[in-house]
Amino acid sequence: MVNLIRNENMKLYRRWRTWIMAALMIGAVLIGSFVDWHYDNKDAGADDWKTQITQEKQHWKEMIADPKTEEGSKNYAKDQLAIGEYRLAHDIRPESDTMWSGINGSAQLIMLITLFTVIVAGDSLAGEFSTGTIKLLLIRPASRLKILLSKYISMILFGLLLLIVLFVVSLLTNGLLYHFKQLDLPLVSVDSAGNAIELSMLGNLWKSYMLNGVSTILFVTLAFMISSAFRSSAMAIGISIFALFAGAIIMELTQPYAWSKYMLFANLDLSQYLNGRPYQDGMTMTFSILVLAAYFILFNFVSWFFFTRRDVAA
Amino acid sequence: MNEPIVSLRNVTKRIGRKTIIDNVSFDVPKGEIFGFLGPNGAGKTTTIRMMVGLMSITEGTITIQGKNIAREFEQAIRHVGGIVENPEMYKFLSGYHNLVHYARMVPGVTKDRIREVVELVKLEDRIHDKVKKYSLGMRQRLGVAQALLHRPSLLILDEPTNGLDPAGIRELRDYLRYLTREEGITVIVSSHLLSEMELMCDRVAIMMRGRIIDVKRIGELIGTNDDAQTYLIEASPSELAIAAVREIAGAIAVKPVQNGIEVTTDRDRIPDILAHLIRMEVRIYGVTPLRQSLEDRFLEITGGERVG
Repeated sequence: MVNLIRNENMKLYRRWRTWIMAALMIGAVLIGSFVDWHYDNKDAGADDWKTQITQEKQHWKEMIADPKTEEGSKNYAKDQLAIGEYRLAHDIRPESDTMWSGINGSAQLIMLITLFTVIVAGDSLAGEFSTGTIKLLLIRPASRLKILLSKYISMILFGLLLLIVLFVVSLLTNGLLYHFKQLDLPLVSVDSAGNAIELSMLGNLWKSYMLNGVSTILFVTLAFMISSAFRSSAMAIGISIFALFAGAIIMELTQPYAWSKYMLFANLDLSQYLNGRPYQDGMTMTFSILVLAAYFILFNFVSWFFFTRRDVAA
Repeated sequence: MNEPIVSLRNVTKRIGRKTIIDNVSFDVPKGEIFGFLGPNGAGKTTTIRMMVGLMSITEGTITIQGKNIAREFEQAIRHVGGIVENPEMYKFLSGYHNLVHYARMVPGVTKDRIREVVELVKLEDRIHDKVKKYSLGMRQRLGVAQALLHRPSLLILDEPTNGLDPAGIRELRDYLRYLTREEGITVIVSSHLLSEMELMCDRVAIMMRGRIIDVKRIGELIGTNDDAQTYLIEASPSELAIAAVREIAGAIAVKPVQNGIEVTTDRDRIPDILAHLIRMEVRIYGVTPLRQSLEDRFLEITGGERVG
């Protein structure tokens, strides 16, 4: 099994394509971080943020006092107020104009990781069929299940590798741009009771990486399923990427219907339970995890079913 | 006959309602080169794909060294090296890395073994080049190398000579002969080219429309009947030649052909016939014994179905 994964890795990393993707991602991090840094407010004095937060506090207070404010917005304002007060009391500045703003911004590029991993995954299995190499691959003493599994694992490892590259490059770039000042800046957030709390900035970053990773894994699984069923890279990559981008639109259209909470896209973003409201009322983290697990099992079952049962004809 | 390496028992393949392979059975003993002959679409490739587990078997059993290919796939396929149609390799990898790839899939294939097969197929100079830079002949040789890596006892080759030039075909033939003789490997090879099979195989199964209609030693198939044989005598004028032959040999089969005559007779009578022809002032340019070719026999057996 280890050898099979090494084989898949060899086929992956001995191709230019893979390294071009990695280079594109590094480029995107560099550009994003640099732009972020360039538009910083460099004239601000070290304590200017305090005045700004004092002003903002005023704004949140007015919002809470205003009887026309909706319940949701009011809660949001209360949280912001608590955070602002905590910052002033403990002398903790916000992330903007520090290295963390660039690093957190780069976390958005996880979308790119999903995209690249889906492209590689769509080609990994279906590509063997279209080039005919699948025949020589399957006439070895390794069951089809093991081959499928080794490909799957190597894709997950590729996604993980891109994630680590993203993390290291964004940390280094922003660190260098800001001379690693505010490296130990904590994240101020609120707990469920509305009290301000200090969290580790790094811990939070990885939490959001991992939550986004869940959606990457599901898209990879989807691409694998289509690969296995249709044996066409173009179809696997095309449909998965379409799903990746059309998901948001579909969710918008179907939101009024109660059944839409069972759709894959409604549950992909687990961070919806950390900040803000879920897609539909009554949805919980546990619900989403169960729905995602069901899709995960279904997709893998279909991949396995087609890959191990069907004849290799052409 | 010792224990067969490969054994097919009543193998049938149906796709939907269509029967692709119909009740095929045969055994191949150790060290034999066994050929599958038949027109395109006869079911050669399907049979071979069932033997290596690429296709499922609807009915019947295939065993390789006593292991059932469907139920004990990993143990059975361990003994098999295969080239299924063109050896399609990873073009973006070097020849060497392709071999490393396949070597990792079978326990016990060492770096030394890789070097050994590379030397056997004479790819030492180019093995570190990317496969996309290889000629077809080199790819074919790399295909042979990957099939031999794990010292299989059975080599299965589907249309291995497709797209090869005569030198490449000859080379492949020599490998196969070498492998059966020196290493005791059993070879199953399919082709729609009769002339190739004639040179390569010990026994041939003739397939037609999913059935095996005959399994014969290559000698039997060609039919070296020593008593009466047909000879082409290049001679002119042919009318005079025919008359002369009739005169001396009486009622034997003789007919005019484009550049002379064809005579069917015993070997001993040839000198007399030629002497008489010369006496009758027929000009003789050459005498060739005509073997009945595999192709003629094939057409006979298959009732004239076109080949290839």
